[in-house]
Amino acid sequence: MILSFKDKVLSILSFLILFTSGQPALGDTLKVCKSCSYTSVKLAVQQAKAGDVVLVEGGSYQESGIEINKPLRLIGKGKPVIDGNNTGQIITVLADDVTIEGFTLQNIATSYTRDDAAIRVIERNNIRILNNTILNTYFGIYLQNSNNITVKGNVVKGENTGKTESALGNAIHVYYTDNVAITNNIVQGHRDGIYLEVVKNTKVHRNTSQYNQRYGLHFMFSDGNTYTYNIFRNNGAGVAVMYTDNVRMEHNTFEDNWGAASYGLLLKDIRNSVIYNNTFRRNTTGIHMESSSRLDIKSNNFERNGWAIKLMTTCIEDTFRLNNFTGNSFDVSTNGKSQLNHFEHNYWEKYSGYDLDKDQVGDVPYRPVSLFSMLVEKVPPSVMFMRSFMVDLLDNMEKVLPSIIPENLVDEKPLMKRIEHDNDRKLTQVLRQTAGTP
Amino acid sequence: MKLLKSIATLTFLAVLSACSVEPKPIPYGEANCTHCNMTVSDNRFGAELVNDKGKPFYFDAAECLAAYLVKQPELQQSASFVMVTDYTNPGNLVDAKNAHFLQSEAIQSPMGMNLTAFADELTAKQMEQEHGGRILTWDQVQSAVKNDTKFQR
Repeated sequence: MILSFKDKVLSILSFLILFTSGQPALGDTLKVCKSCSYTSVKLAVQQAKAGDVVLVEGGSYQESGIEINKPLRLIGKGKPVIDGNNTGQIITVLADDVTIEGFTLQNIATSYTRDDAAIRVIERNNIRILNNTILNTYFGIYLQNSNNITVKGNVVKGENTGKTESALGNAIHVYYTDNVAITNNIVQGHRDGIYLEVVKNTKVHRNTSQYNQRYGLHFMFSDGNTYTYNIFRNNGAGVAVMYTDNVRMEHNTFEDNWGAASYGLLLKDIRNSVIYNNTFRRNTTGIHMESSSRLDIKSNNFERNGWAIKLMTTCIEDTFRLNNFTGNSFDVSTNGKSQLNHFEHNYWEKYSGYDLDKDQVGDVPYRPVSLFSMLVEKVPPSVMFMRSFMVDLLDNMEKVLPSIIPENLVDEKPLMKRIEHDNDRKLTQVLRQTAGTP
Repeated sequence: MKLLKSIATLTFLAVLSACSVEPKPIPYGEANCTHCNMTVSDNRFGAELVNDKGKPFYFDAAECLAAYLVKQPELQQSASFVMVTDYTNPGNLVDAKNAHFLQSEAIQSPMGMNLTAFADELTAKQMEQEHGGRILTWDQVQSAVKNDTKFQR
């Protein structure tokens, strides 16, 4: 009786030991350091078997052309530096289930014929690229024809001063690849911070993309993606979403994207997408929209932009609700009379109407397009007459007797107070009250 | 009096030269594409159309220029210059009609149609052998753009 009990305990114990130690026992660990049996990352990766861990200790390794062709984990301990010394691509992933973590990868030269990157993944699944620092490379992380990739916590910094645009690659370049999570990265000094071409089901979350020559984030033909809580700052332009459907853009900040041809967000040929709770601050143009339809633009803040929204007449069935427009030189500008979009319940700082029935909704409609903004759209240099007496006179006359500004571009229910997006209760109150008005 | 005359002639010449119809270098990084509004930034791919009055329109890629012409065929006749960039000679514009285009998966162009232009036929053929794909004329590029489902929708 006692023996059998002992047996039971033993068998359970041995099972537990086997079970818990089973995980690391799967692969060996190959150490790389100056005094280890491996002094080269490349050699260790070559010698490793599938499932092994290659552990690289701090120090500097002058290497490039490391090819990972079996599932393994390449881990840097104490931020080892792999310096490509401008001799070509540093790491190429040619196997599934690979993790690359904790390295500093640096120095890749511009090449017009090969798009060399610090880490390139070619036609693979389940790759994790975590907490690396990538400095002064042509492309940073390049994913092509792959699936299920995590890119998290990396810093990719290019050197873009004094370089022409074509001498720069993108920091994170994703091409024909689905199911990518791009989270908590800092990307700067490249052509585009994050570039997606024909990409589906991808989440771009909590990244900072700044000082890039062209765009912070760039979509081409990439349907069904989401980007949330990112900061796009000081790029040639913030984000360009082009030829794409079903994009969710929420809680992002677009700021200081400033320059003659610059904007916070460019929408070109996009459909069925939502833009919620974003902040557009100090951009030349907050959103430039053309050929874009069925977009829901709600609860955004437009602060101190040159133009908050440029809405081209090729846009139809777009809805603008509960947005705040404050301190913009122009709230909305357009290039023609026909307007098939809907504005409702926005707060316009320039609104000078009244609210006699105290329902927080202005009693007279607001037309956000001024005559002067139409003029500037047609003859850009006329912007020099801004805030002149004549322009104010014209604008006010037009307000009384609209003839040139589009008649249908109007907010029939402008709000009297700035909307606090954080306070949902207040918001629903406003909604409830306004819903009750005839 | 003589001075006045020479100043007048100079001003007249300056006015004349300002009106001359000729291609202008593409201001990379500053201009937006006339067709897609993307910043024209890669000097291996820029394209340009100069209309009959000498006004230049810039494009980020040959496919955007082609799409613009497909949309407005009347420009085809009236335009003074229709130019694309020689891929092997970045920043250098050549007449689109005389250029040789390679469409190859191996070389990605800014607008997803993988088009590159070459001034020299031999170079185009060499690139085709090296990277694969097919060689197109400017007319074929335009019909390819017309039939492209993701670009023309």
